[in-house]
This record gives sequence, structure tokens and C-alpha cells, in this order.
Amino acid sequence: MRCTCCIVPADVLERLARDPDLSDEVRSASARTLKLSARMRELRFHAAELTSLATLSGLPPVELASAPAITVHDCKHTQTLPGALVARPGSSADPTATRTSKETARVAEFFRKVFDRNSIDNAGMTMMSSIHYGVKYNNAMWNGTQMVYGDGDGAIFLDFTGGNDVMGHELTHGVTQYSLQLAYSGDAGGLNESMSDCFGAMFRQWEAGQDAKAADWLIGHDIMGPTAKTKGYTCLRDMADPGDPHCLAPQPAKYSEITPGMDPHYTSGPPNLAFCAACKALGGKSWETIGQLWYKALTGFGPSPNMKMKDFAARTRKLATQMYGSTPAVASAVDKGWKQAGL
Amino acid sequence: MDRITIERLGGFAGFGLPGSRIKSRGDVALSELSPADRSAVAALFERKDHGGPGPPDAFRYRLTRQTTQGSETVEVPEHVVPEAIRNRVKDVLE
Repeated sequence: MRCTCCIVPADVLERLARDPDLSDEVRSASARTLKLSARMRELRFHAAELTSLATLSGLPPVELASAPAITVHDCKHTQTLPGALVARPGSSADPTATRTSKETARVAEFFRKVFDRNSIDNAGMTMMSSIHYGVKYNNAMWNGTQMVYGDGDGAIFLDFTGGNDVMGHELTHGVTQYSLQLAYSGDAGGLNESMSDCFGAMFRQWEAGQDAKAADWLIGHDIMGPTAKTKGYTCLRDMADPGDPHCLAPQPAKYSEITPGMDPHYTSGPPNLAFCAACKALGGKSWETIGQLWYKALTGFGPSPNMKMKDFAARTRKLATQMYGSTPAVASAVDKGWKQAGL
Repeated sequence: MDRITIERLGGFAGFGLPGSRIKSRGDVALSELSPADRSAVAALFERKDHGGPGPPDAFRYRLTRQTTQGSETVEVPEHVVPEAIRNRVKDVLE
């Protein structure tokens, strides 16, 4: 997966460094940034190459730690990352810091206990989160190295750390980056987003001890603000019914509705439905069987940045037979799920 | 011709997607921007490659300006957009 730098592009810096209308100070700063940025890009490129090479060579990663460190940084409403380190976030007076620390640790525990995975990279990578990013920022994201959470505007959205599925979603982007390395466009982009919704939903259900039939399968339910709720919106996305009008951002349910150039948050509808439908068809806890299949499909075969949805579907169908051959209901549930999504 | 219209798209919540109820829009006059920001915006329209779709769940910005040849639109990742442009959008629920 291509990971972009969060810095000004080189040609913009070059232009600023040469612009006679700007002060000497601004021109000098632009020129310095240009040199540093070039080196940072080289470092990031080589780090990504190393990750790919290690994965392809089949070498197990050298473990940084037996369990990940959890750090929380306060951006103090700026967009400077990572922000100021919060000392002892688990006992902070800031409930956002406390919640972020606690729930990030729980996501690490979820991946450890359910999938035997040691942190995002399976080698004990520190799980870094930045909170209070921007002013009333209605977003959360994985920037390639850490999680970033906005506070929400208090009207449409509440604090994005208030959704445990949101946290599971963002951290799973990191897992994808260190495994299947799905690109963020086309079919692969929709799969990338779907992996995050699937594992975010599983984490939410695991924390609640819910089985697939009792779960609501709603993404973003806990961050809906009063303005959204007053208008009858209950979630961002509904994995069980992607096109339902109670969603803030309804999605297609069938693969045939997807065309090139669509946003991954739109194209994740069909694979989300496939996973949800498979889990409900089989019954039981989503993470125990179908979730194990999805995890193997995501992490068991090395990078495939431009994977097509039909190929991911084929992989899960094959795994269902290989991993659960003595239980035909599993393969039947997986097949049913994908057929419901039109694949 | 001296205004830039701005749409913020995507993000975790899927702003501005087909059927999405959440939009993020704004505009700004070029005359309201600092010389550095005007220069940065001009470079965004001139540059053909902005390094791909950006990190997962990051916002994208669609900027449109009017020229003598008609309207011109560019879509760029959030991290290349000047703060003065980013601060101009307002999130609304339709």
C-alpha cells in the first residue's frame, strides 16, 4: 500500500523557496524543509521496501516487545503530529486520553487473544494515538504510522474516541498495511475499508460478548451527535443493510453497483455485507470462525496491493473448505455471504 | 474568477459520497489569502501528481477555480492543502 507523506509536496516548497514576493525567512524555511522532506521520503520508501521484503522472504519479524507499548499524544487542537505526550494516560484527568489508552490496549488484547497477533505489525509495535487533533475535527484516521482522532463538532459527531469500533477500524488499517498491503483505490480500496469495518465490528462485539445475530452491525453508532440523532440517523454505515436510509453514508450492497474511481468508504458496502451475512448465516460469535477465516485471508498470503474483490471472495471460499472441511456449514455460510453481495 | 470553491470529501465518515447526508463545503477569495498560500494553491492546480489517494480515512479536498478557459478542478489529499483553505469548509448534515 502506498503511504503518502504528511508534508508539503516538493514542487510547492521549490516554488516558495524561489518566490520573490515572500520574505527571506519564509524562503529559507521552505528551502530547509525541502531538503529534510527529501530525506524523510527516502527513509519512508526504504522502510516500506524492508517491510515488503521481510514479508515476501517469509522471515518472521524480529519482535520489538512481547506486548505493545500504548502511547497517547495531545495535539491540543492543532494539526501538528504527534502532539504532546500524555504522561500516564490511563489515569489522566482528560477522559479522551483515558479512554484512548484503555481501548487501544483492549484492541491489542483482542488481536492477541483472538488472532494470536502481537500488535499492528505482529512484532510488538508501539501503538501511538494522537487525540484532540484539529478544531472540532469530524474525523479519525491511520496516517501510516499512528492513529489520529478528532473531537467531533459536538453536533453531527461526538468525540471519535467514543466509538470502540472506530478504534478497531483505525488500528486494522495498520494491520492491513503490515499484511495484505491493500492499496487505497479500486477494488483493493474497498477491501481495505471493509477489513477495517469487519475487524472494528468484531472488536465491538467481542467487548460486548455478543453473537452475530444479537449484534447491530452498525459502524459509528456511538459517535452520532445530537443533530444526527434528531434527524433519525443511527450510524455511518450498516454492514447488514448497506443502503439503509438510517445511515449517514449509505453504500451499495451489490458488487455490480461499483464503478472505477469510487471512494473506498462507498465500495466497502458489498464485502461488508458478505462478512456480516456469512457471520449471521453460521451463527455464534463473529470472531470465532468467519473472523478467523477473514484474518487468515488478510494475513496469511503476503502482500497483494491490487487484489480484486472476486479474488478475495475466492480465497475465503477456499479457506472455508481448507480450515473447516469437517463443518460444511462454514463454507455454505461464506458462499451465501458473497452471493448476497453479488460475488 | 478570484474565488476558489472547496469541498472536503471522504474521511472515516464518508463526506460527500453518493447518497451521503454529510457534506463539507466552503469558498475563499484569492485576495483573502497570504502570498504564500496563493502560491501554494496555484501549485496544487499545476501539479499533476499529488502522491496518490492519501492515508486511510484521511480527507481529500476538491478545489475549483474559474479561468478564462472555463472551470478547473483538482482533487488533492488533505496534507497538501494550506490551513487557510482547510479552515474555510463547514460540515453540514443535509
